Amino acid sequence: MTLKKLRASDKMKQIMAGYYMMGNQAEVNGWVTSGAPVELLYAMDIYPVYPENHGALIGAAKQGPYFSDFAEKRGFSRDLCSYARCDIGCVYAGTSPIGGLPKPTFLFACNNICNTVVKWYQVLSRIFKVPLFVLDTPFVRKELKESYVKYVHDQLYEFVDFLEKVTGRELSDSKLRETILNSIKGVNAYSEVLRMARHKPSPLTCFDAFINMAPIVCLRGTEYPIQFYAEMKEELEERVRKGEGAVDNEEIRLLWDNIPVWYRLKWFAEFFAERNACLVADTYTNAWTGFVSMDKSDIFWSMAETYTFIYLNIGLEHMAEAINRLIDFYDVDGVVIHSNRSCKPYSFGQYELQKMINAPSVVIEADMVDSRAFSEAQVETRLEAFLEMLR
Amino acid sequence: MNVGYLCTYTPKELIDAAGFTPIRIFAGDAQISLATAHIQSYACSQARGSFERALRGELDVQAVVFTRCCDTLMRLADIWERNTEMKVYNLEFPTRVEEKSKEFYFNELKDFVKVLEEWGGEVTLESLKESFSLYYELEEKLKKLFSIKPDYDTAKKVQEMNVRDAIKLVDERLREAEGEDKKPRVLITGSVCPFVEVYKLFEDAGFALKDDICTGTRFFTFNTPPRDIGSVDEGLRFLVEKYFDKAPCPTKHFPKDDRFNYVLELAKDCDGVVFLLLKFCEPHFYDYPQLKERLEEMGKKVLLLELEFPIASYEQLRTRIEAFYEVIA
Repeated sequence: MTLKKLRASDKMKQIMAGYYMMGNQAEVNGWVTSGAPVELLYAMDIYPVYPENHGALIGAAKQGPYFSDFAEKRGFSRDLCSYARCDIGCVYAGTSPIGGLPKPTFLFACNNICNTVVKWYQVLSRIFKVPLFVLDTPFVRKELKESYVKYVHDQLYEFVDFLEKVTGRELSDSKLRETILNSIKGVNAYSEVLRMARHKPSPLTCFDAFINMAPIVCLRGTEYPIQFYAEMKEELEERVRKGEGAVDNEEIRLLWDNIPVWYRLKWFAEFFAERNACLVADTYTNAWTGFVSMDKSDIFWSMAETYTFIYLNIGLEHMAEAINRLIDFYDVDGVVIHSNRSCKPYSFGQYELQKMINAPSVVIEADMVDSRAFSEAQVETRLEAFLEMLR
Repeated sequence: MNVGYLCTYTPKELIDAAGFTPIRIFAGDAQISLATAHIQSYACSQARGSFERALRGELDVQAVVFTRCCDTLMRLADIWERNTEMKVYNLEFPTRVEEKSKEFYFNELKDFVKVLEEWGGEVTLESLKESFSLYYELEEKLKKLFSIKPDYDTAKKVQEMNVRDAIKLVDERLREAEGEDKKPRVLITGSVCPFVEVYKLFEDAGFALKDDICTGTRFFTFNTPPRDIGSVDEGLRFLVEKYFDKAPCPTKHFPKDDRFNYVLELAKDCDGVVFLLLKFCEPHFYDYPQLKERLEEMGKKVLLLELEFPIASYEQLRTRIEAFYEVIA
């Protein structure tokens, strides 16, 4: 079974190689969490380092257990998030599949994706002895209260002061607006790529989306994603014109929930393709499509709103609503739910969501990076039975 | 009405002042079975065990207040609401505990007062003053009791009863309390442990105890004596001060690393430190390696005990605690 490859993936590798090279030359860099408002960094020519993306890379390189071991030997529990364990492991190992991350000038953790990152970055701040800024976004279980937005809004201003102090540079308002505009354009271009999966058969799978998501995470606010995703879309349009699906004889359309199982991407892709099932979309990459609106004249206020009401920082009712929108939009027959040991805010509540969404679903137990938590036979049996039921 | 809560950052005073009884929810003795259909096994057994009791109908509480202290509690609120008859409210205690977060928390408390009123309660200046003074009395008396000899049985019980009864209970225990002869002293640090038999194992082994446990000393270690208040809002401002300045918990972010400094200070007059950690408790497990290193630099012996509730084998724990005693004594 050979999977259909997108030309875009080669281009993506080049872009990301460039991104990592930039990191080695950058004068000032900040380690940031994936849901943090990176626009402020790019607007001040600060290079953002993404430990989570690095963790995904380690997972995809099947090096999770190897690098985790360096952290475990220091006393970090195997029950901690595997992104954190592997990244901390790499710091102690002094290397990684890409030769390690550049040492941080400062650390920036935003808890809109989890409170785990706050603890993880505290650990890093003690190792590197550099300043840590925590952007505290209240959890929006029901309504997004104005007091929440105000709290985050004020912290954004405080963060700018922090950045100006750490770097000795000044934030220019026009540069920030330009960066945010780029961010919006990039996010739109990326959304259009994902939306191509609406076609039947779908020209892409969520695995294509996973593999090619790094630019929207790491380079959001620069020109790169805008151009890259425009090209990727053209390639997908070409497939649509030819009536070519990402999976041959697409019979079943599925939605994926949670972070990918990075060390098994190919295995999953083949498993579904062989059974004429296509995972057309997922909740993970779609979490990056809601970023940044500028419908208010106060851009700090709209940034505060956007970054607080983010997929992992909202209550189950909101999450179910979002999943149901995807089910409807992509016309999927079923949902494959990854119960991810490493990600509690993403995984707890999944059993409830199963009852709240408008499609049948199956839960598989795994971990995003740590392959020791993966049982092939168990996952295979579950998925086989689920696909059988959907037919 | 009884209002349940799980986290010590819950302002019990407000619940009491509204005319309700705040009741702390702990995991129980029964094996966890019903909860497994609602939350994964890699949630800590305090979360699963507490929810198990709710599902079994063992809790006499009609509402529950959650705080977003960790990722597990954050999600548990919704799961709880969907599967019980109880009212559920989420009070956002900021993760960043510092001057600049105070206004936000003050607003959260104002919103909480409204919710308590929707539940049929009423917070007045008089009721607030009374609750403040009662809780202060309870906290000071518990401090006194623990300074004579830590009493985990009492500490647990007071968290499950009305503050007025709790004061009477502590008064009784204070009358009986006796100090101990000099023994090697151990600091027990960790998250929750409502199973008082565990502390008994330490005493049996020959240790004098000191603790930094969420269900023990952290429950009553506040540093803000009541002051005269002229309005409910002033009372809420007082609560902000009180809770921001309580014994620090690892779920929070303190710009000056207050949490580490607090534990290191507590450890100074102890001979050893035991990390009594609940499996899957991320906030504590992230701190553990670096905190352990700092403690060892101070010359302290350190032991890690990982627990799951209900506790499967006390004997196994006993063996490890006795071995640790041998190392120290």
